Amino acid sequence: MDRGWWWKFGMIVAVTLGTFWFLVPTYYSLVVLDRSERNNIAVLEQRLPKWAPPARYRLNLGLDLQGGIHMVMRVDTKTALQKRTERRGQQIATYVNDKKLGEVTADTDPERLQLTLTAKDPATMDAIQKEVLATFTDFSLDSRNGGTLVLKPDEGQVNRFRDEAVDQAMLVIRRRIDKWGVAEVDVRKLGTDSIQISLPGRSNPEQAKELVGTTAQLEFRMVDDTNPQVFAQMFQQHPPPADSKITLVDDEGFPQLSSPNREALLAYAKDKTPEGRDVVTQCVANPVKKNDCLSYRSYLLDKNVPLTGESLSGADASVSQMNEPEVNLAFDPAGAREFEKLTEAAVGRRMAIVLDDNVHTAPRINEKIGGGRARITMGRAGARSFEEWLGEAQTLALVLKAGALPAPVTVGEIRQVGATLGDELIKKGSLAALVGLALVVVFMAVYYRKSGLIADVALLLNGLLILAGLAFFNATLTLPGIAGFVLTLGIAVDANVLINERIREELSHGKSARAAVDQGYDRAFWTIFDAHVTTLIAGFILFFTGTGPVRGFATTLIVGLLASLFTSIVVTRVITTYFVHGRNAQSVSV
Amino acid sequence: MQILKHKTNFDFIGKRKPALFISTLLNLAIIVGIAAVGFNFGVDFAGGTVVELKYDTPTTAEQVRERAQAGGLHDVSVQGVGAAEENSFLLRMGGVTQLTEENAEHAKAAIQGLGETRNVYADMANGIVNFRSVKPMSVEAVKKAVEGAGIGVQEVRDLGANQGGTGYDYQVVASGMADKVFAALSAGLDKPNFEQRRVDYVGPQVGKQLRNRGVMALVYSMVAILIYVAFRFDFKFGPGALLAMLHDVIMVAGYYLVSRREFNLTSIAALLTIVGYSVNDTIVIYDRIREDMAKYKGKPLPEVINIAVNDTLGRTILTSGVTALSLIGLLIFGVGEIFDFAMAMLVGILVGTYSSVYIASPVVIWLDERAHSREGHSGTKHEAKAA
Repeated sequence: MDRGWWWKFGMIVAVTLGTFWFLVPTYYSLVVLDRSERNNIAVLEQRLPKWAPPARYRLNLGLDLQGGIHMVMRVDTKTALQKRTERRGQQIATYVNDKKLGEVTADTDPERLQLTLTAKDPATMDAIQKEVLATFTDFSLDSRNGGTLVLKPDEGQVNRFRDEAVDQAMLVIRRRIDKWGVAEVDVRKLGTDSIQISLPGRSNPEQAKELVGTTAQLEFRMVDDTNPQVFAQMFQQHPPPADSKITLVDDEGFPQLSSPNREALLAYAKDKTPEGRDVVTQCVANPVKKNDCLSYRSYLLDKNVPLTGESLSGADASVSQMNEPEVNLAFDPAGAREFEKLTEAAVGRRMAIVLDDNVHTAPRINEKIGGGRARITMGRAGARSFEEWLGEAQTLALVLKAGALPAPVTVGEIRQVGATLGDELIKKGSLAALVGLALVVVFMAVYYRKSGLIADVALLLNGLLILAGLAFFNATLTLPGIAGFVLTLGIAVDANVLINERIREELSHGKSARAAVDQGYDRAFWTIFDAHVTTLIAGFILFFTGTGPVRGFATTLIVGLLASLFTSIVVTRVITTYFVHGRNAQSVSV
Repeated sequence: MQILKHKTNFDFIGKRKPALFISTLLNLAIIVGIAAVGFNFGVDFAGGTVVELKYDTPTTAEQVRERAQAGGLHDVSVQGVGAAEENSFLLRMGGVTQLTEENAEHAKAAIQGLGETRNVYADMANGIVNFRSVKPMSVEAVKKAVEGAGIGVQEVRDLGANQGGTGYDYQVVASGMADKVFAALSAGLDKPNFEQRRVDYVGPQVGKQLRNRGVMALVYSMVAILIYVAFRFDFKFGPGALLAMLHDVIMVAGYYLVSRREFNLTSIAALLTIVGYSVNDTIVIYDRIREDMAKYKGKPLPEVINIAVNDTLGRTILTSGVTALSLIGLLIFGVGEIFDFAMAMLVGILVGTYSSVYIASPVVIWLDERAHSREGHSGTKHEAKAA
């Protein structure tokens, strides 16, 4: 046994131990914990021994195996773009008419998203064309025919708008699901205009569709500040039950109720709310976990909703001359009039911006705001950095737009698996995998004797490595994934067959045991390498182009092939070398 | 233990022409079959709704069908799942929302009855009816009117005034098919006597996307593998590996075509695995051919290939056998998709093994011969090329 061998042997032992160690969180989440706690990382974290890897490194079960809802929502960006083009067309027409360049009417082609300007007097079109193209740079000239001008929207702008529409929809969907209280939701973008949502443990697809699919509702409502002590009085006169966790907090002179449980807070305030008012909550974001509410605060709002998001024509985040992040709002003509009236009557009061029954922010109105343009200054106060404030401004702009420009979402795909079916599939799937594995193990031991046993050790290590690898990449084990697992084991066996057949061949040529083993491995190496790499290529392409079950399958295949390369080339060779070189054996048992 | 006791010397290559002929014929037949008859596309690709129900009490498929029809679901196919005593059924419907052609007309009429409207347009793909009304309408009234026409409404969206001032835009979103199934089957019962175990609902748009992406994945991986083989071996090996892959994919597609089993995303995964397995097998034999070409310099290529194929025969049989063995568990215990997957894999392993010998290798010979005859014409000596 030379030093190189000991190094390799040490590495294999380390990898094996590491594999077992890495599977501890998986073992706890699937076997030790109760099924209802399976997806709860916090509980898992508590139960895990101190020496175990972090709880997030655990093998997830796909929704097909544990039950739940998987859905893909398509954001109808086309409708949103159409609306936007229409709006821009109207702005252009107003601009041209106001500047007295001539008189034009604007028309939108909903199919191609083109804008057609028709001049009353074709002679004025030259001047109009020049001015419009110079001012509205998000459009370029498509064609001109006498008194009609066809404009096409700038590609980059359209794409940015489309991305934004999807981001808005995601924001709204996340917030709604949070309100539903589902643990371990996964909301992510899929392609250019779809959103993929996983809701483990949920079973009512129609309810989920309704929750996620309805258009966001943005409202501007006045905060009732006539009695700033209203919540403080409520709290003193009717102390909330001790176990409700409702507390009173002070927010710059406005005491508010605060509770980690939104339902409990609303239930407590319900019959104590003054006539004509609503208690609406605000989510206090969890600084550690994104998209999670640490607690909820209460606001007392006028029941009357003077203005909704439909009157809003745009919102952007920017930085003011005072270097403070701010959000700029623009209203349509009718909205502008309403907003002016509203702010005139309410100088000094606060106006709540409410999206889907969640108070996003409640800025104070400093003066009457006319002209349809308003500004919400974020300030730079408090412990937050400039970047945090700017981020806040951007989120607010997104929220406003989500309500203002409805890019409707429609359901592209829903897959729901009941929990009992999931359990059944796990049982059948793992049984199938185990039977396949057992058959192969027995066959190898019988056919190749000792070498077969060595191959079996490698095979079992291979299986464990796949599971640990999936846990490491935080991958999800799906039903097709189990099939991929079985197949990879087949490919791993092929590598061992190749090696053993080569050794037999070399032995039949009369080579010594040592030479036969060395040559067998050397010669088989490139064959195994090529065979694995080509399959790996297929696996990677599958991973990057596939979705859902195909992706789950590809992940298992990739991890499995890498594990197989290691076990068949390194592990079996080190063990075989021990028996042949170390024991100085004169024969090989293949 | 050993499968082949002695070194074999079968003349594989000699029979390459009839083999190629039969394979080509079969492949063409499958392609024609796919074009003429088509796959039995699952909900993944065709779009539609699948609901799996498990009844608490003994129920037959016929009873479920009758009940569904009584509830107004006419184009539903009902199929038992698993053993009869499991009382599980798969219900398939073409539509994903309650907005059918016929329904859309009713909805249009109902909306038009509310006031003067323009541009009433049903977007069947998304289950939405768009319309522009001259006067603002109440969302509730629209919902009521459409529901009155017998179409479940999930939401009525108020898109606000049209900028040109010509009207107000609205969208009516129809509710899903699964809703209707649930309602129809539990009609007249206090509590539904079944459990909704699974709902798959794929919109036609998404279905098309999924299908295109699946096919693209197949094409991309074939091209990538071709490039790898051309680099690692020699150019003349590349096309053979590619043709063998194509052959195997078509044959497995043939399994789905003939068996009428559902062709879905998992089937695409199966086809891709076959690509991987096929090339895996081909590479092992190519490797041996390359090695033997160096070993038997001067021997004609067909003979070298025959030796290589015979040398690796034991390994080929063994590997295919063991991989097939690992699928047995899936074949016995696999349900639905998984069974189909395993079956397709089994077909793939068999044809994959065959194609490495009878498709991949002969193409190498053919390309080699072509190269020779061309060089022969230009006056180069024949023997010099045999090495």
